[in-house]
Amino acid sequence: MDDVMGQALADRLMVMGDDELILAHRNSEWAGHAPILEEDIAFANIALDEMGHASIWYGLRGELTGEDTDRLIFFRNPGQYRNVQLVELPKGDWAFSMVRQYLFDAAENIQLGYLKASAYRPLAEAAAKIATEEAYHLRHTGLWLRRLGLGTEESHARTQAALDSLWPYAQQLFMSLPDDTALFEAGIIPDAALLRREWEGKVRPILAECGLAISDGAMPRRDIPRTEHTEYLVALLSELQSVARLDPEAEW
Amino acid sequence: MTDQWPRYEVFKQDRPDGPFRNVGSVHAPDAELALMNARDVFARRPSCVALWVVPDAVIVRRTAEEFAREKGGRDERETEDIIQYAVFSKQSQRQAMTYVDYVGELAARSPVEALHRATETFRESPGIVWWVCPASAIVPSDPDDLPGFAAATGKMFRMPNQYHTIFTMQKIRRGEEGDD
Repeated sequence: MDDVMGQALADRLMVMGDDELILAHRNSEWAGHAPILEEDIAFANIALDEMGHASIWYGLRGELTGEDTDRLIFFRNPGQYRNVQLVELPKGDWAFSMVRQYLFDAAENIQLGYLKASAYRPLAEAAAKIATEEAYHLRHTGLWLRRLGLGTEESHARTQAALDSLWPYAQQLFMSLPDDTALFEAGIIPDAALLRREWEGKVRPILAECGLAISDGAMPRRDIPRTEHTEYLVALLSELQSVARLDPEAEW
Repeated sequence: MTDQWPRYEVFKQDRPDGPFRNVGSVHAPDAELALMNARDVFARRPSCVALWVVPDAVIVRRTAEEFAREKGGRDERETEDIIQYAVFSKQSQRQAMTYVDYVGELAARSPVEALHRATETFRESPGIVWWVCPASAIVPSDPDDLPGFAAATGKMFRMPNQYHTIFTMQKIRRGEEGDD
């Protein structure tokens, strides 16, 4: 792999790692607060899985750039993070976190399906490993979505409100990075437009089965680049990074 | 009235052909979510190849002492249809995990008859505690779930004692912090 391709892949891996890390952190905020003990445990497990996946993507990036995962996580500023805004939004109510996790999981499952056949072997192997867990996550959030959407008047209203606010944000998941084209042409990553079509084809009928409507009119007026963040990421990172930054040389 | 979800007893099989052993219970609104919760609560770290969940409400239980007291006073009003009952028994107090294991099935006209017949049918496993439930009430995990059970067991994790916290704190108290 030449330097240009290597940098393009490193950029893509950072995007993948950042999405999973920030979502994992938001999910971890439910620990001790989920609606029932069993779900508290389950959602903490999912948060841990996502954190593990982030670590795998950062590790693959590190193989290309020589960077250390802990440095990447704890010593980058908000402006250097490349996650979508979808994952940095506050956890909201239970419906909000479930809908967010569902929309993200559905996209990730489709992406992993292609990455398992990536021409970059380490990426293909990691994707195969992660795919089993992600399939389970999707099932988990899918079961919840159905029960929330078709449950009580209140659960439906909350879930619909969550979908209304999250649907436009979810579109950012499918925005290409400037150098993604080269990676796609080399068979390393799938085409973003294809992913988006498959994702919509998958989630639209399921959301409809759950009694939820998509408000297509509320789409963002412009494509938001991954360099732009909400104020929520600043607060999230200051908490996530606070201990590591107290003593940057400490060994863990 | 309770606002709690119903309770499901969870049975875990550690290896193919191994016994289904009761490992505890979960709350869930339905069996499908009960299986999912069971996976998270009982199968994330320990080995597991299959799970069963059974609504707690359909399980009838007896201890050996209760059987002894009932002798002669056995409920003979067995007018229900004959159905298959699953039988579970606990055979030891010695291990740390003294839960009931699935031992087999038998046909009976009522849970009480099933319990009494179980002690005769499964004579080779003298039980301290017996449970029966309609065999049809068992909701098993799907064979397709297997990769999901295996996923977490293959994962690296640290037990709390691997952090050497006590040892490190002793060193700090002795004023040896940072010597290594």
